Amino acid sequence: MSAELATRLIDDIGALLLVTMLIILASGQLFRAIYAVAAQSVFLGIAGAVLATATGNIDLWIIAAITIVVKAVLLPWLLIRVVKRIQIRREIEPVIPIPVTLALAAAIVVLSFHLSASLGPVQHAITGHALPVGIALILLGVLVMASRKKALTQMVGLFASENGIFFTAMAISQGMPLIIEIGVILDVVLGALVMGIMVLRVRSSIDTDIADLESLKG
Amino acid sequence: MSSTLLWITPLVPAAIGLCMLRVRSERMLSVLDVGSSMTVLGLAMAIAYKVIASGPLTAVGLLRADDLTLVFLLLVGLLALVTSVATVGWIQQEIAKGEMRKESLRYYYALVQGFIATMLVTVLADNLGILWIAMEGTTITSAVLVGFHGHKQGLEAAWKYIIVTTIGISFGLFGTVLVYGAATHAQSGGTAGSMNWSSIVALSHLDPSIVRIGFIFVLVGYGAKAGLAPVHMWLPDAHSQAPSPVSALLSGALIKCALLGILRFHTIACHACGPAFSERLLLIFGLISVVVATPFILVQHDLKRLLGYHSVEHVGIIALGIGFGGRLGVFGALLHVINHGVTKALAFLIAGDAISRFGTRDIPKMRGYLGIAPWCGTLLLMAAFSLAGAPPFSIFISELMVIRAGISAGHALAVGVFLVMMVVIFAGLVHHVGQIVFGVADAKADRSPESRWPLLGMLTLTVVMLLFGIYMPAGVNRALVRATEVVLG
Repeated sequence: MSAELATRLIDDIGALLLVTMLIILASGQLFRAIYAVAAQSVFLGIAGAVLATATGNIDLWIIAAITIVVKAVLLPWLLIRVVKRIQIRREIEPVIPIPVTLALAAAIVVLSFHLSASLGPVQHAITGHALPVGIALILLGVLVMASRKKALTQMVGLFASENGIFFTAMAISQGMPLIIEIGVILDVVLGALVMGIMVLRVRSSIDTDIADLESLKG
Repeated sequence: MSSTLLWITPLVPAAIGLCMLRVRSERMLSVLDVGSSMTVLGLAMAIAYKVIASGPLTAVGLLRADDLTLVFLLLVGLLALVTSVATVGWIQQEIAKGEMRKESLRYYYALVQGFIATMLVTVLADNLGILWIAMEGTTITSAVLVGFHGHKQGLEAAWKYIIVTTIGISFGLFGTVLVYGAATHAQSGGTAGSMNWSSIVALSHLDPSIVRIGFIFVLVGYGAKAGLAPVHMWLPDAHSQAPSPVSALLSGALIKCALLGILRFHTIACHACGPAFSERLLLIFGLISVVVATPFILVQHDLKRLLGYHSVEHVGIIALGIGFGGRLGVFGALLHVINHGVTKALAFLIAGDAISRFGTRDIPKMRGYLGIAPWCGTLLLMAAFSLAGAPPFSIFISELMVIRAGISAGHALAVGVFLVMMVVIFAGLVHHVGQIVFGVADAKADRSPESRWPLLGMLTLTVVMLLFGIYMPAGVNRALVRATEVVLG
C-alpha cells in the first residue's frame, strides 16, 4: 500500500471516529451510545490494520486484533451485561442540553485542528491528521463524562476517550512497543472490571446509581 | 546480579500478595505482610547502596534506578514497612469493632501488597510506558482498597477516585505518546528502546512545540493523580474514606510517585524547550493548590478530610519548589517529598487510632485525646506542628528552602501569597488539633491501653521527622544533591 493511500485512509477513518463520537454525544439512549463506542473501536482496529499494511510492522496487526477483540467486543459486552443486570431506565439524562453539548463539541474539534496546525516539522512523523483527531477525541470523551452524570455513560466516555489515544499512538511512525500496548490494554480491562463491580455493588446494596451519590462534600 | 535487584523488588510483594489469597490464618497474614515489607525495604537499601557506589542500574531495558529514584524508592519502602507494622495492631482494633470481617482479611492484605508492588514499579520504571501502566495499576488496586469497607461513602469516594484519576492519567498516556512521537522523529527511524526516559533525555533536538503540548497533557494527567488543584476534588474523599493504613500510603507514598512521573517529564521538557515553560506551569498549579486548599482546611470538621486537604496543600508546595527552580528549589522540593511523606503517614496512622477510640471523625466531638492515649496524643500534637511548618520539625526546613528559592528567583508575589496561606493554615491546623488533644474525654471514648505495634511504627516515623528537622545526615544531603542534579540534567 502506498504512503499516500495509507494517509488518505487514515484521514477517512479519523473522520469516522469523530462521527461516532458525535453519535455518542448526541444519543439519548444508553444502548445506542454503547453500540457507537463499539463501532468506534472497530474503526480503530481497521486503522491499525491499514497502518500495519502500510508500514509492514507485524506488531500493529497484533495490536489491531487485540483492539477489536477487547474494545469492540469484550468491553461493550461487559457494559451491556451491567445494564441488563441493574435494569436502569435506558434513557440518558444530560446535565447540559444536547444542542449546547454539540456546539461545544464543534468548538473542541476546531480548536484541536488549530492547535496541531501550529506544530512544526514533527507533523511528518505522524500519519495524516491523526494528531488533531486524537486530541479532539480525548477532549470529547471528557465532555461525554462531564455532560452525563450516570456511571455507565461515564464509562462509555472514558472508553471513547481512550480510543483517541490509541489512534494517535498507532499513527506515530512505528506505533508504541507491543509490550506497552498490551500492558495498557490489560489496565483498561482491569479498570473496567473494577468499575463494573462497583456499579453493581452500589446498585444491589442501596439501589442508586453510584455516580448519583453525593454525601461527601466540603 | 545488581540488575536482578531491580525486578526482584516489585516481584516480592506481588508474589507474596498472590500467596496471601490462599492463607486464612490471621497471624500468618500479618507475618507475611511485615516480612514482605521488610524484604522490600532491605532490597531498596541494597539498590541504594549499589547506585551510590557505582552509578545508575538498569534491568531488562525497562527498569532503571538512578539517584532520583532512590529518594522515592526508600520513601515507599519505609512507609510500606511502617504501615505494615502499624497494621498488626490496627487490624485487631478493626476486627474488635466489627469494621473488618475475618474472612475478607486476606483480600485486604493481598491488595495492599499489590498496591505496594505497583508503586515500586512506578518508581523504578525507565520506560515511560511502563511508568504509565504501573501508575494505572496503583489506581486500580488502591480504588478497591478505598471502597473496601463497603460503606456508602467509601464506595462513593472509590468511584470518584477511579473515574477521575483514570480519565486524568489517560491524558498522561497521551502526553507520553506525544513525547515518544517527538523522540522517534528526532531519532529518524527509531529503535525499540526509544521509549526509555534515559534515552529520550539524551536526545539532543526534540521538537519543542510537540514536547510542550505533551508536557501539558502529562502535567494535567499525573497532576490529577498527585492531587494538584484544580483536579484534586477526589483526593480528600478517597484519602479520608480509605482504611487508615491505606490512607497513610496514599498520602505519604502514592502522590509522591505521581510527582516523580511529573519530574521525569519536567527534565525532558527542560532539555527540549528550556526550563522556563514547565517551571512556570508547575508554579501556577502549585500556587493554585495551596490557595484552594486553605479555606477547606479552615472550615473542616472531619479529621481525615482535614489531612486530605492538607496533602493538596503540600503537593502544591512541592510543585512550587520545582517551579521556583534552581538547585535550591528542586533540593527543597525533594526534601519536602520525604518530609511530607513521613509526617503525613504518621498523622493518618494516629488519626485512625483517634477515630476508632472516639467512634467519630467529627473534630468538635473529639476531646481529651491526650488523656486517654498519652503517647498518640503527644505524637498527634507533634505531627500537627510539623505539618503546619513549625520548627524544629523537618517540614519547616524544606519549606524554608522553597521560600528562599522563590525569593532568589524573584517570584515576590508568589512567595507573598504562599506565606500568607502558611500563616492561615498554621492557625487553622493548630486550632483543630488542639480541640482534639486537650480537654476532658467523653465517657463513651475507648480508654483501652495503646497497643504496641502501631506505636512502634509511629515512633519510627517521628524519629525521622525530628532527625531531618534538627540535623541532616551528610549521606542524605549528598544523595539529595545528586538527585537534584538528575532533575536539572
